[in-house]
Amino acid sequence: MASPILSISDAVKTYGDTHALNQVNLDVAEGEFLTLLGPSGSGKTTLLSAIAGFIKMDSGKLTLRAEDITNRPPEHRDFGMVFQGYALFPTMTVRENVAFPLKVRKKPSSEITKRVNEALEMVQMGAFADRMPSQLSGGQQQRIALARAMSFSPQVLLLDEPLSALDKKLRADLQWELKALHNQLGVTFIYVTHDQDEALSMSDRIIILKDGGIQQQGDPNTLYNRPRNKFVADFLGKSNFIDVTVKGQTNSTLHCTAQDVAFDVETDTTNTTGDTVKLALRPERLKLGAPNEEFLPAVVKQVSYLGERCQVIVTHKTLGEMLVSCPTWKTDITPVAGLTVSIGWEPDAPVVLADN
Amino acid sequence: MQRSAFQIFFQTGAWTVIAFLVLPLLVVLPISFTDTSYIGLPKEGLSLQHYVNYFTDPKWLGATWTSVWIGVVVATCATVLGTAFAIGCWFLSDRASSIARWVLITPILVPPVVQSLGFYRFWVVLGLIDTHVGVILAHTLLALPYVSISVFAALTNLDRNIPRAARSLGASVMQTVWAVVVPAAKPGIATGFIFAFIVSFDEIVGVLFITVRRVSTLPKMIWEGIQDNIDPTIAAVATVLVVITLVATAIGVMRKK
Repeated sequence: MASPILSISDAVKTYGDTHALNQVNLDVAEGEFLTLLGPSGSGKTTLLSAIAGFIKMDSGKLTLRAEDITNRPPEHRDFGMVFQGYALFPTMTVRENVAFPLKVRKKPSSEITKRVNEALEMVQMGAFADRMPSQLSGGQQQRIALARAMSFSPQVLLLDEPLSALDKKLRADLQWELKALHNQLGVTFIYVTHDQDEALSMSDRIIILKDGGIQQQGDPNTLYNRPRNKFVADFLGKSNFIDVTVKGQTNSTLHCTAQDVAFDVETDTTNTTGDTVKLALRPERLKLGAPNEEFLPAVVKQVSYLGERCQVIVTHKTLGEMLVSCPTWKTDITPVAGLTVSIGWEPDAPVVLADN
Repeated sequence: MQRSAFQIFFQTGAWTVIAFLVLPLLVVLPISFTDTSYIGLPKEGLSLQHYVNYFTDPKWLGATWTSVWIGVVVATCATVLGTAFAIGCWFLSDRASSIARWVLITPILVPPVVQSLGFYRFWVVLGLIDTHVGVILAHTLLALPYVSISVFAALTNLDRNIPRAARSLGASVMQTVWAVVVPAAKPGIATGFIFAFIVSFDEIVGVLFITVRRVSTLPKMIWEGIQDNIDPTIAAVATVLVVITLVATAIGVMRKK
């Protein structure tokens, strides 16, 4: 990474006995769309609040372009921030809200007018400048909040679950808009969410947090296809987990068994014969077919139809219950409960989890 | 519409309660127009002599003026202090601040006589007996809880991220309070100011304890009027106050619509 715009080192924050942040180290690249993803209590909001300056870390260091800003108050950090509940100033009009950061910076009024108009145009809200926030819908309010946070050209834009108060369809639309805005402006975004779809669809890089620590980080594709541990494989999408015993390894092919079922798995890890490792298998990488010699026989237990896809729970006599997700428009068989089928997968489908 | 016995019972009850509350107030109206020189209903005809007396007697006018300006000073002091207190507590929102809020409302919980006795003992030590400053101090203390409660009520619905948003946008703590928190608390501040004025304007027990001759407020004059000379001017004063209150309320209601 070229020299990072923002750098957090050894961040620690405890509340009583719980570690909200446990030795977190993170570098943020200039212009990056970085997402902090995790379940509630994972420390993602604490980390964002520490970056914004709203909470004081117990220990650790925060630098902005190599300058120590650990003890700098939030108003001097020059970070725009967007909140889940919009946090618009209720007694000010839309225009006054967007002008607020420029006014406290004592910009000349001609510049304020120009930049407020630009910011409102950017989020297509120019026609609403003289409304009060209470007269706008949730999606419109969040657009205004975004315009307000961007009007003063901040160094970094912090977004704290900005879409989670909106309904599903609007959320999807705004994901596209946010991503387009990021590409257009080139500003560094740090985005907090608990929604894996949001994280996958927008981010350049995702940091997965749990119990105040980073579990894994990487681009969406790597994280989804090469999860390092069970938590990541389970949190980002769905996975079937199989405990297997290592029988040997030839180059990158791992030979292992789960009782009477043998697997040959492509892996970049090195494993010792006799060890037990965990495999993760994505439901969409499993293929359902008519019973045949080549694949494993299984019985359909339950079917859930989702329109474009269909989720099927099948039972195998040693592997137990497996979740299979197959496209509904391209199937060899129509799964119904009680039907005997076969399940199979490509050799590169199972992922060896490095640790638990 | 068919009315059930239940409805009739409660409607009758409600009207009885309203009558009980309003009738004693209305009694002062005929008394204020009495042509007698003592408190009683008009005998031969109606007279405005007691109104004339109220609006010309320097003692009555002086007491009224004293009550008004003390009320305004008290309302201003209590509003500034109570608002600052409520905003501070709202920002902190920890254990200590909720304890502080309880301590501040004790003037409402303690019986006025006990409170006034306390004022008396303490004001003697401070040399504040029979001074305007003494009355203002005591009334400010009594009015503080009303201001802090109404400001706090106005702030409970304010999103806690709003001051954070202001800070992240570049406003200092003071700028945040002035630009964002105070405007949001404005309805509560206005209510608190009015309450504080009424508390002071209406207060009698404390005034009786801590003033002698030099300070005379309107409630004290009315009280003394009943004690020494059963002067119907009291009824005229009471009627004037009721009319002012009704007009102010009517204006308030009209403006809301």
